[in-house]
Amino acid sequence: MTTATAPTAGDRRTPGWREWLLLAPMLAWLVTFVVVPSAILFVYSFCERDELGRVVFDFTGENYRRVFDPIYLRIFARSIGYAALTTGICIVAGFPVAYFIGRAKAAWRDRLLLLVMVPFWTSFLIRTYAWITILKQEGLLNALLRSLPLGIGPWDLLYTPTAVLIGLVYAYLPFMILPIYGSVEKLDGSLIEAAHDLGAGPLRVFSSVILPLTLPGIAAGTLLVFVPAIAMFAITDLMGGARVPLIGNVIQNQFLQARDWPFGAALGVVFMALFAVTYWALLRLGRRDEVLA
Amino acid sequence: MKLFLPLRFVIRASLALFASVLPGAAAELNLFGWSEYVPQTVIDGFTRESGIKVNFETYSSNEELISKLVAGVGRYDLVQPSDYAAELMIRQKLLAPLDRSKLGNLKNLSPDFVGRPPDPEGKFTVPYMSGTVGIVVNTDKVKVPVTSYRDVFQARFKNRIVVLNDNREIVTWALLSLGLPMNSITAENLKRARPVIAEWVKLVKVFDSDSPKTALLNGDVDLGVVWSGEAAILWNQNKKFQYVIPAEGTHQFIDMLAIPATAKNKNGAHQFMNYILRPEVSKLISAAFPYTNPNAAARQLLSAGELANPASYPKGGQFETFRDIGKMASDIDRLVTDLKSSK
Amino acid sequence: MSSPAAPHFRLPSGLRLLDFCLGGWTVLVLVFFYLPIAVLVAYSFNASRLNVVWEGFTLVWYRDVWANAPLLQAARNSFVIACVTTVFSVVLGTLGAWLLHRYRFRAARGIETLAAIPMVMPEILMGISLLVFFATIGLPLGFSSVIIGHVTFSFPFVLVAVQARLLGLDPALEEAALDLGATPWQAFWLVIVPCLRPAIVAGALMAFTLSWDELIVTFFTASASSATLPIRVFGMAKVGLNPMLNALSTIFVIATAAFVVFSAYVRRLNR
Repeated sequence: MTTATAPTAGDRRTPGWREWLLLAPMLAWLVTFVVVPSAILFVYSFCERDELGRVVFDFTGENYRRVFDPIYLRIFARSIGYAALTTGICIVAGFPVAYFIGRAKAAWRDRLLLLVMVPFWTSFLIRTYAWITILKQEGLLNALLRSLPLGIGPWDLLYTPTAVLIGLVYAYLPFMILPIYGSVEKLDGSLIEAAHDLGAGPLRVFSSVILPLTLPGIAAGTLLVFVPAIAMFAITDLMGGARVPLIGNVIQNQFLQARDWPFGAALGVVFMALFAVTYWALLRLGRRDEVLA
Repeated sequence: MKLFLPLRFVIRASLALFASVLPGAAAELNLFGWSEYVPQTVIDGFTRESGIKVNFETYSSNEELISKLVAGVGRYDLVQPSDYAAELMIRQKLLAPLDRSKLGNLKNLSPDFVGRPPDPEGKFTVPYMSGTVGIVVNTDKVKVPVTSYRDVFQARFKNRIVVLNDNREIVTWALLSLGLPMNSITAENLKRARPVIAEWVKLVKVFDSDSPKTALLNGDVDLGVVWSGEAAILWNQNKKFQYVIPAEGTHQFIDMLAIPATAKNKNGAHQFMNYILRPEVSKLISAAFPYTNPNAAARQLLSAGELANPASYPKGGQFETFRDIGKMASDIDRLVTDLKSSK
Repeated sequence: MSSPAAPHFRLPSGLRLLDFCLGGWTVLVLVFFYLPIAVLVAYSFNASRLNVVWEGFTLVWYRDVWANAPLLQAARNSFVIACVTTVFSVVLGTLGAWLLHRYRFRAARGIETLAAIPMVMPEILMGISLLVFFATIGLPLGFSSVIIGHVTFSFPFVLVAVQARLLGLDPALEEAALDLGATPWQAFWLVIVPCLRPAIVAGALMAFTLSWDELIVTFFTASASSATLPIRVFGMAKVGLNPMLNALSTIFVIATAAFVVFSAYVRRLNR
């Protein structure tokens, strides 16, 4: 048999009945608990509602027409904007961290990873409230600024878009760090050494060797950050003072205050379509460079 | 292998857990209520006396209550809807009629709370707690008189205002400030309210229905339109927080106890209701949540300080409650969402 | 045994500065992560109930947490649910990733996309759709419904983590094992799984964390007796910041730190 040093994409066997049997649990799970409920929602999105907000099986395309109302398109755009900004900041802030941890000594790697994860085992809500304590007008940040003789005035950060961004980045940074770490950890050091030996400067090494090889990690991290960030609503409510509704708030509202489940379902379906597009785009980005490696 | 040790532990633990979760022999009461609206001391006292274990599940909005109730998979014996939600549930036949012979303590209720819509005959509901929505002002920071909605939403208070994150509330205040009846939510009235609300949302710093007092205590805002209970807690904390009933009018809310038609333990539910109606128990609830207590006998037990709280027991008589507005809820949501997002 | 993949390269001395900067940045990011933790720990000792200004040192909130039976019950529920979820997620995710990687299923792409959906589906949609689904099939809400929901959005994370690792795995390993007489199943268990251990552990950590802190899907699929910690905390936090919650969170920080230290100690013993 061939003794390849780098993994090849070929050599995949055809599955026998045993393999299908082993795959069955996951498939069954996906179908039962993902496909069927999603299908239910899809059907709902074409329904009318009664006064309780429940669905009435009179079919209509009205809900989708409403989704494309400028009000909601504007909200979608803003949500995507926030999510994109969050993702960008996470990539820039998270990549160096993932890189550092990925090439650290084995014992330190695990410790650092755990250090990254431990804060996220406390309640998300409590952490967010802690941020409010830090950012509010009489909060710790302003107290610190006041004590330093730098003349930087008190910052009115809480309940502004900046606070929302801080909250979003804080919530999603680990989801960016972990996948990139996964890619970095697999990096073949000899490739980088070879690049150095061939005379490439650090910037060139980064752009020609490190970046392409870690692109799958970045792509995975982007998927895990970008799409959920669009649907996030708790942070706008708590740290943004609920001033600017994002699409997550609107969807949430439809199932609650507004009592319009079909419309909520329609918004959800459009959102999932958005995810599908992002997923395919990132898939191409990730896969393309695996073949090259 | 090392992987198996934790696995075995988990399997054993989960089996033990599943065993502990199977329905027990003792009687149980499934209470589905507002988060933190029933003090633990009250629940514990009831269990001690009656031997019935209370499973307290919580929600934070009437719509959450309705959606879980109509889905039909929850098994609830007692629920805590607000007035308009109760109206909706009565109309949809989701509630079981009460057996008044089991509720001897009903006589403790104040006459103000008997005979009110949506359940004038008290067939399905018992009032639990009541309150109003009004203006709270930090008089240390705000030196001018503020007595109406229009006074609150002035340009000088830009970015210093907190209001409830409830689209129907905001629309109601706008309607009242225009002199329109608050329960007549029609397309026409919404159109008239639109420019008013458009101006107002630009001035608000925080929308918060859960704990608006936090922003006021933090000093991030100076005044707002909030629940009376929140204002009462603020007043107890510091008398600088004054509560004012808006001159254009306001609405009252009555949170009620009711028994779903699908309840298993209707007997236990009645027992709990009767227990709540005892003056000494009701007093405990007031101590934790200084809203307006509908129990006249309990009010007699309250301290002078509690009764003097202008937010808990405002002067100004009775106010209307919310009525169910059916499908217009969606239009309200759309209006306010549009105005909020077009800044 | 670390993976047979790349040796870690040593930086030429000229790039020591870069190394230092990366390390410094990592420290900054970690400070950013721990800042709110430090604040909430500090405030758990604050004598003021409304948690606005510092009023004195006290341990009364810890006593309150210990005395709050529903809260402790919810913590117990959360822990068990998270553990069971992690086990199921690891099994489903690892098996699925391996099978999709090793064998040529026609529907592989489709299955992978399906598996990615729960990772990104808005929680309220998943919660509502599961609630309606359970109502339709008549499954009463309780631990099983919560665990089903949790596993559904957790196992894709394990799948993705393991898949990523598999892509870098040398197929010669499995070939060697098979050549030496192992059955495919033995090759999987004795050769592949140990190599996948870091990814499985990473995925398991993710699954546990997600299940532990999840609120919305849990709300729609839980019953009173299966209320989890986030649900109780959310209810309490809604009426205003309660220092009891700070005390609870501090207890968890200490508990996880202790667990980490303990497991590192155990690992060192096994070397």
